[in-house]
Amino acid sequence: MSTQRLPVTVVGGYLGAGKTTLVNHVLRSSNERIAVIVNDFGEVSIDEDLIVAADSDKLTLANGCICCTLADGFAAALMQIRSAGTLPQRLLIEASGVADPTQIAAYGHTPGLGLDAVVVMADAEQVRRQANDRWVADTVRLQLAAADLLVVNKIDLLDDASKADDLCDWLAGLSPGATVVRASRAAVPIDVLLGPLPASDAVDTPERPALERAAASRSHVVENLFESQTVVLDAPIAMPIIESLLADLPDGVVRLKGLLQAVPPASTEDASKTEAADTTAYLIEAVGKRTSMTPHPTDATQPPPRWAISLIAHKGALPPNWLAEGLARRG
Amino acid sequence: MGTPQPFVIYPARRVITINPAFPFGEAVAVAGDRILGVGSTDELASWGEHRIDDCFAEHVIMPGFVEAHCHVMSGGLWNSTYVGYFDRRDPQGQLWPGCTSIDDVLERLAKAAADMADDSQTLLAWGLDPIYFPGERLVARHLDTVTGDRPTLVLHASGHLATINSALMDRCGIDETATSPGVARGGDGLPNGELHEPAGMMLAGDAFVDMMKANRSEQARWRYANEARNAGHTLLTDLGTTQLWDPDQLNNWKKVTSDPTYPARVMVAMSNLFGSAADPAELAELCVQLKSEQTDKLRFGIVKLILDGSIQGFTARISWPHYYKPPPGHIGNGLWLTAPDQMADLVESYHRAGLTVHCHCNGDEASEVFIDAVEQVLERHPRWDHRHTVQHCQLTTPDQYRRMAALGMCANIFSNHIYYWGDQHRDATVGPERAARMDACGTALASGVSFSIHSDSPITPLGHLHTAWCAVNRVTASGQVLGPDERISVPDALRAITIEAARQIKMDAEIGSIEAGKLADFAVLEDDPLTADPMALRDIGIWGTVLGGVLQPAQISDA
Ligand SMILES: [Zn+2]
Ligand SMILES: [Zn+2]
Repeated sequence: MSTQRLPVTVVGGYLGAGKTTLVNHVLRSSNERIAVIVNDFGEVSIDEDLIVAADSDKLTLANGCICCTLADGFAAALMQIRSAGTLPQRLLIEASGVADPTQIAAYGHTPGLGLDAVVVMADAEQVRRQANDRWVADTVRLQLAAADLLVVNKIDLLDDASKADDLCDWLAGLSPGATVVRASRAAVPIDVLLGPLPASDAVDTPERPALERAAASRSHVVENLFESQTVVLDAPIAMPIIESLLADLPDGVVRLKGLLQAVPPASTEDASKTEAADTTAYLIEAVGKRTSMTPHPTDATQPPPRWAISLIAHKGALPPNWLAEGLARRG
Repeated sequence: MGTPQPFVIYPARRVITINPAFPFGEAVAVAGDRILGVGSTDELASWGEHRIDDCFAEHVIMPGFVEAHCHVMSGGLWNSTYVGYFDRRDPQGQLWPGCTSIDDVLERLAKAAADMADDSQTLLAWGLDPIYFPGERLVARHLDTVTGDRPTLVLHASGHLATINSALMDRCGIDETATSPGVARGGDGLPNGELHEPAGMMLAGDAFVDMMKANRSEQARWRYANEARNAGHTLLTDLGTTQLWDPDQLNNWKKVTSDPTYPARVMVAMSNLFGSAADPAELAELCVQLKSEQTDKLRFGIVKLILDGSIQGFTARISWPHYYKPPPGHIGNGLWLTAPDQMADLVESYHRAGLTVHCHCNGDEASEVFIDAVEQVLERHPRWDHRHTVQHCQLTTPDQYRRMAALGMCANIFSNHIYYWGDQHRDATVGPERAARMDACGTALASGVSFSIHSDSPITPLGHLHTAWCAVNRVTASGQVLGPDERISVPDALRAITIEAARQIKMDAEIGSIEAGKLADFAVLEDDPLTADPMALRDIGIWGTVLGGVLQPAQISDA
């Protein structure tokens, strides 16, 4: 039995920004078994061809994913998900169009869960008007400010590139610390949304180890907007190196995720002599302003995971070997 | 035709009919479940074979009170121990004195724990209102002194917070490692047992789920109606359920209301918020379907929407200058629970299906958005006599009332707020000027808007004489008059709790006044509200009700 936390992704943003399109896109494109919790089925329409069974409070999807509502509260939805058979590998919560994503993200602190990221969608054509609307200006600004990953959707509807640049700069100002990514039809690469490595090694199947998966999905990561870098680690790393890496990630980094063995600070003086027993496995993550480093329990009966750090960056934002060199320089 | 059937004449001290064409009578005659007539005993006797029942000879008979906004939850909560600040009578008629200090709360909990047979059973309590204990705070440490190892959960009156004891924290794994922002911490940095908002409260797991489940039982529905009978009510509107998709919940309502002894009629309003499985078109269809199957005691036809939060929780949408003295860190204004952009389309779905939309609007931004939506929809699809209603209507402005009158909208005003939170509204939420014009029955009346007043029970106790007392006197809990110019007369308040409430749920042809042919639903009072001192309105005793001709004596069990 794994004690790893189920990663939670919150999808927020004002009405019409493309949250439902994004959820459908994730359900279609991810290799993970995902449980989606929505405010109500009235607002969200899961693409019908994905649904294999529907009852009043639960939809079962072809790829093992399920979709529940908050009809009886979050606790009840979680119970329903846990009792639905195979446990999901990720929880996606779609906030209502007027919800404050920060409040929804609080559910990510339920024991057994871990907040991965708050993704907020903005409609490229409408967001300026909405952010100055008589009724919802404050609501929309609150939503934007809550983002780790701010998806500027329907960017293709703006007639020229300089307008898109202006818009993204302006949005970055409303959402300090968030990573701004552009998208059309909510087609954000899955690895950008959910991270370049699976959050848990439980996701790895012998046929598809994590890095291979990441490599396989890299083809659609790129899409001439993003590029990725991966460093495979053959030895534990000193904790301060990781801390320093996470502390000053350049703006161009969209997502970073790593599974590694770190040497606790006390014993770093003599890192060369460190025995395996002194190291702890950690999952490190960075998205927008949110960085985390959490102990990652490993199962002794299973082969050890591949230790590696991957990142996704805006294309051209980083020198080609930035990650490898950065680790070497700090080491 | 002659006599419809053998009938009963009830002579009374006075019958107040709320029918302006025949305002008073000496007696009322009841044939089966209907009113045969009102007048003098001799006039009524001339209908034919009858029996005279003198049981109400010393009483005043009024139309049964109509509550157009409360919740069946008020029946379910009595499964848990009441620890609120104000006196409250349970559906069995037992008076629970208010807990006016933290010690009172603890004493009540200690007694409840002692009365529980099973040591492992969770102690559930409700109604705690810390706003009345400034400077003090009930935390797990206090609870532990009286509950020991028994898991305990106390739900606050606001519904947004719960306080649990250490035993329940242990059971739910809430300790210093908790990362949830919903877990409050004390000065020592450790969780103090307070759980905030749904994300925090859900950490209490089964205890919280059990408390909410109790609202779905048959027993909750009986208690809901018993409480109504004890307060003189004959109709309750359960304003906003998402559960009618569940055949068990629908059958539950059908079962209790088809029992001839069930002491209330119930209008069940449907809601598509908070996780209903419905899109508006489906919901409208179900509601129309249910309406076609309704009975005299179980009614449908209203759809409930919610636009904003509450004023005392600083979550209602209030226009500039917004809140007067909000708590530190407040975001500036309240929350939308439905996107304003969506309102017109939502209203349109139900409006076109011939249903009536009742929308929760506490703040004036919310009422403005709802009125705008109704106006747009009426332009697209003109329809007369829709009676779409602004619910709570607490900060609705005079210009909004004028628009409501022009559009044919009704208001259901939350008069009880004046008493229960009026002092807080003046001193903290909206400040003196706006507090003085809150819950503006006087303005509604002057604008020609049909209005009722409500308790929103369990938020405040059900009891229309108290609610009318609030609208008439506008006296706060501290005894001060808030906004004397918005006070209304006793006759106007009595109309608001009977015929006007019936009107906004479209039942005024059947109930709400005592007239030949209407359903025989009465509130039977120990004194005359029209001659009593207006300040004593809420103290008038209630014998009980008559529902469809069946006598329903109140249950009062003061030890
Ligand atoms: Zn309400
Ligand atoms: Zn209510």
